[in-house]
Amino acid sequence: MSYSKENVESIVNNGISRRSFLKGLAASGVLSSFPGGILQANEDLNTKIPYLGEKSYQTFRNACPRNCYDTCSIKTYVKDGVMQFIEGATESTYTRGGCCVKGNSYVKRVYSARRLKYPMMQVGGKGSGNWKRISWDTAMDIIAKKLLEIKKEDGTLLGAALTKYSGNFGITHYGIEGMFNSIGYTTRLAGTPCWPAGIDAQNLDMGDMWCNDPEEMKDSKFIILWGVNPASNSIHSMKYIYEAKKKGAKVVVIDPVFTEAASKASQYIQIKTGTDGLLALGMAKIIIDAGLHDQKWLDANSKGYKEYKAYLDKEIKLDNVSKITGIPLAMIKELALSFAKAKPATIWMGYGMQRHTNGGSMIRAIDAFVAVSGNIGKYAGGARYGHLNTWGFNYAALSQPKPEGSVGYTGPEGAKGEFAQVGGEKAAYTDRFLNINKTARELINAKEPKVRLLWVACKNPFAQDFDRNQLIRAFQQLDLVVVADQFFNETAKWADIVLPVTTQFEEYDVNVSYWHYWLTLNEQAIKPLFEVKSDLEIAAMLSKRMNQLQAGSCTFPQSVDTKAMMVKEFNPGIYEQFGIKSWEELKHGPVKAKAVIPFADGKFKTPSGKFEFYSDKALELFGSALPTYLEVRKPYDKFRMTSPHTRWSLHSQFQNLEWMEDVHPEPYVYINPEDAEAKMVKEGDTVAVFNKQGLLRLKAKLTDNVQSGTVLMYEQWYNNNIYNVNELVDDTSSDMGAFKTGAPGVALHDTFVNFRKL
Amino acid sequence: MQKAFLVDGSICLGCNTCAMACKNQYHQDKGILWRKVREIGAEEYHIDNNNILPTLVSYQKAPKAEMPMERFYFSLACNHCENPACVAICPVGAHTKDPETGICKHDQTICIGCGGCVKACPFGASKFNEKMGQAEKCSMCWERQADGKTTACVQSCPVGAIAIIDLHDPKYKEYANASPIGIDYAINAETKPTTRFIHPSMPKEVYRLPKG
Repeated sequence: MSYSKENVESIVNNGISRRSFLKGLAASGVLSSFPGGILQANEDLNTKIPYLGEKSYQTFRNACPRNCYDTCSIKTYVKDGVMQFIEGATESTYTRGGCCVKGNSYVKRVYSARRLKYPMMQVGGKGSGNWKRISWDTAMDIIAKKLLEIKKEDGTLLGAALTKYSGNFGITHYGIEGMFNSIGYTTRLAGTPCWPAGIDAQNLDMGDMWCNDPEEMKDSKFIILWGVNPASNSIHSMKYIYEAKKKGAKVVVIDPVFTEAASKASQYIQIKTGTDGLLALGMAKIIIDAGLHDQKWLDANSKGYKEYKAYLDKEIKLDNVSKITGIPLAMIKELALSFAKAKPATIWMGYGMQRHTNGGSMIRAIDAFVAVSGNIGKYAGGARYGHLNTWGFNYAALSQPKPEGSVGYTGPEGAKGEFAQVGGEKAAYTDRFLNINKTARELINAKEPKVRLLWVACKNPFAQDFDRNQLIRAFQQLDLVVVADQFFNETAKWADIVLPVTTQFEEYDVNVSYWHYWLTLNEQAIKPLFEVKSDLEIAAMLSKRMNQLQAGSCTFPQSVDTKAMMVKEFNPGIYEQFGIKSWEELKHGPVKAKAVIPFADGKFKTPSGKFEFYSDKALELFGSALPTYLEVRKPYDKFRMTSPHTRWSLHSQFQNLEWMEDVHPEPYVYINPEDAEAKMVKEGDTVAVFNKQGLLRLKAKLTDNVQSGTVLMYEQWYNNNIYNVNELVDDTSSDMGAFKTGAPGVALHDTFVNFRKL
Repeated sequence: MQKAFLVDGSICLGCNTCAMACKNQYHQDKGILWRKVREIGAEEYHIDNNNILPTLVSYQKAPKAEMPMERFYFSLACNHCENPACVAICPVGAHTKDPETGICKHDQTICIGCGGCVKACPFGASKFNEKMGQAEKCSMCWERQADGKTTACVQSCPVGAIAIIDLHDPKYKEYANASPIGIDYAINAETKPTTRFIHPSMPKEVYRLPKG
């Protein structure tokens, strides 16, 4: 059977005659975006788009720009200007032809009827739900006038704040920071809620966060997945772990939760939450006592090993380690010794573990254990956490000069985030930095000048930030909140103006990963739908309006082309690292960086140039030179609540899509049967989970995947459900993060709750 | 030749990539999944709302397997039966069994929407699309296969847990009688379903904190 274009359209439109279909479109005002409007206009009537053969489609290169280890390389199939389907790029051995459940929902995301289509203004005030469609000109006029008003009244633009994080990690998306750079000195929500304590820990130990290529894990002889669940959150890494296992490697999962990855491992070891650092210290002591430590490597490459060993000898009692971690001593010994005997052996540390008040100290302790075993600087070895080794772009979109005569803040300078740390020339003034992890209270408390305008981009603070009751107060006291997003999410509900932004399929960009070593071009595959604009185009429009109102008030280019901006991000260093001569080669598929084993040359970027068991910097900043055992936060309620990432969403993205609702419709709280029995809660009961912060109502599932004393809920944003786990999380800091990312992380797994049957 | 899905539950992550890759390729409407990832040992399977009658898979009593919740899965689409009920019942020949590959194909341009196949299939493979008034189901991406590609589900699986085998090839003999764990009846259905399964198992060593 053959499918003609008419056939396809008749199937797509299912009986609606083409003429009336077009008429309908014209009436609804979407004709201007035709033919991209086909799918969205009839979202329920697009079943069975037939596959027409590779040659029938135009293909484009795309990347999944979400905050994810896997950062998939995508091939997009387009017909008549409409995205039909995507595939993972087969050129990348990492993506290997397939995205994940989230990536495969992209077509629905682009053409979702729920997408933000036009600039909107909440005329009834924040949270009123009284919205009115406005033009881009009106939106830009309101924002530009407010910015100029702030500058006139305050003498600075510090009253304008930007919160932007990981909604899109494409390199040109730093143009959003660039937009704020281009108007003057402003206020930034700095730091990262994600992984800062661990970044600091690795930088203290090794002078860098730099992990081995995950694809090497296939040749590891012993793998510990320590507090990481790649079976849900880095599914493309699992094939290497399986391959190692098949070749005889032991795969051990240490985790408070019996995770999806644990169910596929050789061994699962449940540990009491927040005691992982102590376990690592105990394991180090065991292999040193057994003489299995790599003395030669330690002599040549480390600083402070003697002091570290003295600490272990004096302070670490193995019986105590067993008691506190909850793991039998014989099992700890067996684990430590078999790890030390297998070479190469590697440990992958997850980001959840460092979201505790002692998180950084735990990562330092595990780093030290891997170092003692002699597995750092080795092929298929390493203390893996993440890397930014392939992120050496120009950050052209980010680097915008300040308008002449800009006045700013005279506070201390420091890191502002983990990715693009582009300094620029030293100026008399700086931006003002507020802790992103305490957004609510920092916005409320900021004085002289107070924050009056907040721009939210690539971020959904109401889903992801903490202390939400305060956050509502914080937003309400702002003169103007601008939210740039693709969907009407919870944050948009508390905005004054929402701006519809493009998906990655409607713009150019370039993407790399913080885990694997591939570089992917992101091409514009379809024309932007409706009235959506890229973040860069929005910045240009704002610049145009500001300069009309006051010449020279904004330095951002007044017209931008996302492709030209993307090209500007490349430099000879990137070309050299990836072995290409031009970015255009990426049209043929993603490329991988030349293989380097981190720290194989024994050169560490620490002050001593060595692996630092003893760090002066750590002593100065965090009060302990050595990786030592720190007790985790004391409970303030009955049960610990842990809120890990789920496979159904990437933070607040994807779960809201209609297709995702088909495979995962609603949230649950997972409770250990023992705890449930004590509270007379049965499977499927609706329970209230509550603490000093808030209360959630949802269905219970009983499982010993979670340990007694802990309840588990996933962090997600549902379109049709008010559930949000961050209702219960306060903003208590983790121990580290301020050194390299500008602010400490959040101890969000040190949240405590109670629950009862409803 | 009888093409069949071989589903390896021992490595399946339950990530639903296969089910979503199928939607990505064919754009099934909300509420319809041609491929579904089912949890082994669950008290009950999610009900397929769009099925007119309860089916074997969704109506049988709870499977007997005892597995931890939300950790072990099997992925199931059309079973491409050797003796397919859908082909037998379809009054207009919209369902056909490809004599060469053994794939059970459904052609929506012929389908009159009588719903016979939806009632007849013991596995709920044929779905009824109420908005279109027609049936639809997995046709093993025969168009993709004819074009030299593999199916959307097989290509997208991150760990290679779904493969397409020739059930009549002697080298796959060992899988001849493997039903999904806990659902012993499936393979003996009269329609002779062809999907085969490799069973998962718990890790060799599992340590959990003592109670209390």
